Amino acid sequence: MSSTPATIHDAHGGPAADAGTSVIGSFGHTRTPEFEKRLQKRYRKERNFKRMGQGAILFSVAVLIFLLGNMLINGVGGFQRAELAVPIDFPESGLVGDETSLTASSAVQVLELQGLPEIVQFYAEEALGEEGAAQLSRDAWRDVAAALQGDPSLIERTHTFNLAASSDLASGLSGEGSAEMQALAQRLEERGVLSEKFDGGFLSRSDATSPQQVGIWGALKGSILTMIITLALAFPVGVLSALYLEEYAPRNRWTDLIEVSINNLAAVPSIIFGLLGLAVFLTIFPNFRSAPLIGGLTLALMTMPVIVISGRNAIKAVPPSIRDGALAVGASPLQVVFHHVLPLALPGMLTGTIIGMARALGETAPLLLIGMRAFVATPPDGFTSPATVLPVQIFLWSDEIDRGFVERTSAAIVILLLFLLLMNSFAIYLRNKFEKTW
Amino acid sequence: MTVIHDSIKKDRDAKMIARDVSVFYGAKKAIDEVSIDIAPDYVTAFIGPSGCGKSTFLRCFNRMNDTIPVAKVTGCIELDGEDIHSSNMDVVQLRARVGMVFQKPNPFPKSIYDNIAYGPKIHGLGEKKADLDAIVERSLTRAGLWGEVKDRLDESGTALSGGQQQRLCIARAIAVDPEVILMDEPASALDPIATAKIEELIDELSGRYAIVIVTHSMQQAARVSQRTAFFHLGKMVEYGPTDDIFTNPIEERTQDYITGRYG
Repeated sequence: MSSTPATIHDAHGGPAADAGTSVIGSFGHTRTPEFEKRLQKRYRKERNFKRMGQGAILFSVAVLIFLLGNMLINGVGGFQRAELAVPIDFPESGLVGDETSLTASSAVQVLELQGLPEIVQFYAEEALGEEGAAQLSRDAWRDVAAALQGDPSLIERTHTFNLAASSDLASGLSGEGSAEMQALAQRLEERGVLSEKFDGGFLSRSDATSPQQVGIWGALKGSILTMIITLALAFPVGVLSALYLEEYAPRNRWTDLIEVSINNLAAVPSIIFGLLGLAVFLTIFPNFRSAPLIGGLTLALMTMPVIVISGRNAIKAVPPSIRDGALAVGASPLQVVFHHVLPLALPGMLTGTIIGMARALGETAPLLLIGMRAFVATPPDGFTSPATVLPVQIFLWSDEIDRGFVERTSAAIVILLLFLLLMNSFAIYLRNKFEKTW
Repeated sequence: MTVIHDSIKKDRDAKMIARDVSVFYGAKKAIDEVSIDIAPDYVTAFIGPSGCGKSTFLRCFNRMNDTIPVAKVTGCIELDGEDIHSSNMDVVQLRARVGMVFQKPNPFPKSIYDNIAYGPKIHGLGEKKADLDAIVERSLTRAGLWGEVKDRLDESGTALSGGQQQRLCIARAIAVDPEVILMDEPASALDPIATAKIEELIDELSGRYAIVIVTHSMQQAARVSQRTAFFHLGKMVEYGPTDDIFTNPIEERTQDYITGRYG
């Protein structure tokens, strides 16, 4: 102890007693060319490392932009569809109805009995010619009926409806398909009765056989319902498991085994969870095939280990001094956990939950196995009605032969990405809200 | 063999007593059969070289060693004649009666007000807001912090300076109205000015509370305490009035440590 200060004193005091130049002399070993060279090398290494990091970031940003740009450009077409303009003169058509009859639940049947399908066909032939009218979907009159239900005053005047063209004509309009259709599409377009219009219905309809009639709402609602089940099950179970394992469980062979199992579970391929869901959940609830309930349960199993692992890390990161401080004023272990540890670990737990939920939202394989790939033309009513989810819908559409599905698939991907973005922003908002510094 | 000065054997009515207390970390014996009486109206200092077990021993008095799974405490510790390990002494209640201040300031990442009010709240001491307000003001005043923070009670406790944080922790400890306050090197992370304030505070608090302070600074022990126990290698070597320990130690090892021959 006593010799160290003396040495320092010598190093400073000794040369300083000499002339001024020898002060520099005492730092001489840092002024040699070799030292300068080493210094240069160190700086060069640092610059190179920085450039490499920037390059990696640049690369990933470029990939991301390419992906999103590609999806958006293709997806824009998916939000449009080829529509034929058909003016219908309701007073002339002889269709009768008033506000009460048109808003009644039986309105569609009444209109059908009054011959609305034939009326639509007639005006379509008048506006588009026989050839053009043939490219109108046979169910186009249902859109007209729906419009009348929405606005009963239409029946008193002439109104131009934009009705979906057949998928053949739609591909003709985009320069694909048969030469015959391309010519027809060109003629109709020149007359101003055929055009690509923004298709708001894409967000409110469900799956259909024709790309002109499909919508994403059914799959989106299925995804939302499935995610609700997943979150409601995986979050509390995951957080409680993490808290128990970190705060209460004794350190022994059993807890080691549990830890290893959870880590392994997080790495199990998702399709295995699908098989588990098929074997276990569908055996217990055979009537709920394709239901968001079963999908959610299956995905919850998959998400839980991710939440447990990130939760445990978040709890480990809470400084022990905070625990000691709370214990020392007489908090019980439970109060320490709920008043101090959990609030501080929550941001980290939410980060893990975001990652797990994002993975669950994009998961396809396990859901295929439990029957969520069925053709579902109506949005699910609840957690137990048949449904499909966004990634499965994308998978199904990408498999379709009809060219019209290509753009619809991209549009569905855009919706999926937007949903993901929304979910993540909400979670990040929550995380920042709970984040505390110490 | 522990040397206990005759002059303190006259001390009556010890607040806390320890008898043959040993602490094991797994197979390692960190404290070897220490017996000590803690006087109610004095500041008692534990001194000794690093790793001698003085902090470990201090943590026995409010059973903080319970939180370390491998630690095992044997022997008997009594608070006002009650065995603190007995089944009718609840550990939560014990810690409300025996408060603790740690080496590193550890305010909760909550507002200054909530830092102080937390203890009283969980023990149900302040049912009404006005009661809590009074406790907060009284505790901060006793800790000499009220004047500095009274206009910013809503600010985070972690935004204070190190010295202020430590006084906040002392205020937090006295908010639950303990009988004994244990201090584990409370000034070792602070600069000299903040240290002086803490020492002043300890002086003011002595008499109201029984205070036990662990310190590695002999000057600090000499300044703030009336009783000093010297620990070495897990054993209590000598215990006596602070003045006697520093001016007239009986044991050679105490003499060596105080004169700086080791440690």
